Amino acid sequence: MNSTILANIYRFFGLALLQGLVFQSVGTGMESFRYLYVIIFPIFIILLPMRAPVPLVLLLGFAIGIFVDILYDTLGLHASAAVFTAFSRSFVFKLLEPRGGYNVNLSPTAANLGPVWFLKYSAALMFLHLFFYFSVEAFTFVYIVDILLKSLVSFIVSMLFLLIFQLIFNPKE
Amino acid sequence: MFNLIQLFLRLSGFFVFLLLEIVCFTLVVKYNQTQKDIYVNSVNVGTGLLHKASANFRYYFSLDDENYRLARENARLLEKMYNPGVDTLEYIDTAYDESDVPQYVFQVAKVLKNTVNNHHNYIVLDKGSDDGIAPHSGIITNNGVVGIVRKVSKRFSVAMSLLHRQTRISAKIKGTNYPGSITWDKMENNAQILSLSDIPKHAKLEVGDTVVTSGFSTIFPEGIIIGTIESSSVVPGKHALDITVRSKLDMTNIQYVYIVKNLFRKEQEELLQAVMEEDR
Repeated sequence: MNSTILANIYRFFGLALLQGLVFQSVGTGMESFRYLYVIIFPIFIILLPMRAPVPLVLLLGFAIGIFVDILYDTLGLHASAAVFTAFSRSFVFKLLEPRGGYNVNLSPTAANLGPVWFLKYSAALMFLHLFFYFSVEAFTFVYIVDILLKSLVSFIVSMLFLLIFQLIFNPKE
Repeated sequence: MFNLIQLFLRLSGFFVFLLLEIVCFTLVVKYNQTQKDIYVNSVNVGTGLLHKASANFRYYFSLDDENYRLARENARLLEKMYNPGVDTLEYIDTAYDESDVPQYVFQVAKVLKNTVNNHHNYIVLDKGSDDGIAPHSGIITNNGVVGIVRKVSKRFSVAMSLLHRQTRISAKIKGTNYPGSITWDKMENNAQILSLSDIPKHAKLEVGDTVVTSGFSTIFPEGIIIGTIESSSVVPGKHALDITVRSKLDMTNIQYVYIVKNLFRKEQEELLQAVMEEDR
């Protein structure tokens, strides 16, 4: 129990700082990588324990979003996407529910629920997050092609980093 | 009540989601210039459309008033046209000199009833003696002569329409001064076909010439349009041409008309009467 909370606190600060201080500069100022953004902090939301109540997940998503926003100087932008991701989480859970149901005491990790399940789960959330984020960033669907392109390119790269994160840490909690 | 609380708890996630998204979007719009611009712009477009819709809605309800206002405006302009040299606006607004009294005043009236299918067609108007309407006042629209007032009550007046067998209107061909008269022949079975009689045979005219009121009677001022000549023929044994006139006005479709009040009529008729009595 304690270790779960601790792991999540580490991830909260670690991912937010990594996002804001390192990955913020990826893609910016590079003409040829106009659509490339690396967004990895949703991993925090993805890996929150399953038994965490939805309002808490939403609040934590909001918190990390605001944290990243402060570092990005785009107040509200990442937070709105993070809250959206946190809200979609329970629906993705329902959608991907295995035949035997979940063991709610566990965290939704590859170690606990299998790599294929985790890949599907994290990919769904990541794409939702990126699509929402770029939509809010454009703030209009006039540039829907741009939004989709950005989402797709950034999705591939961000998933790559998510898998690296998974390989390095392989978190259980 | 318990069910309600349960429902609320079940939906609490959704409410928190909504609340947080509202907070986020408020922040986005408040602190990010691009999104702020788009937001303000869209709101303007949205409220603009709303204002437009509501204006259209109100416009529909004001159409009647607007029509009346425009008809009044037209009456003023007609007054100006047929009273050259007299500032009618001044006449209405301020104290006036006796010599500046306009001869013709135009009163807007709404058509309440209008028949066109009988031999004797009548028009009922919503202005009567209270509005200063007297019998034998002419009625016109901007497309031409409509008829002549026959009888007035306090609030209404009944007019013989142009489509009345006994209506005779003193008319002439524009540019000439041969006195003729316009009548309507029901046999033609067409509300727009009139005949112009009493124009002498030697008068030069062409198909398409404009026929206007002559101003020889006290009913209409000179030069109000009636129609255009459609055909003319010489009838053997008659001294006058047989002229068919096509009216510009569609008598079946009139809503607002102008009643012509000739303020000098009494004086003119009394004078004529006196001379005729002297000669008798």
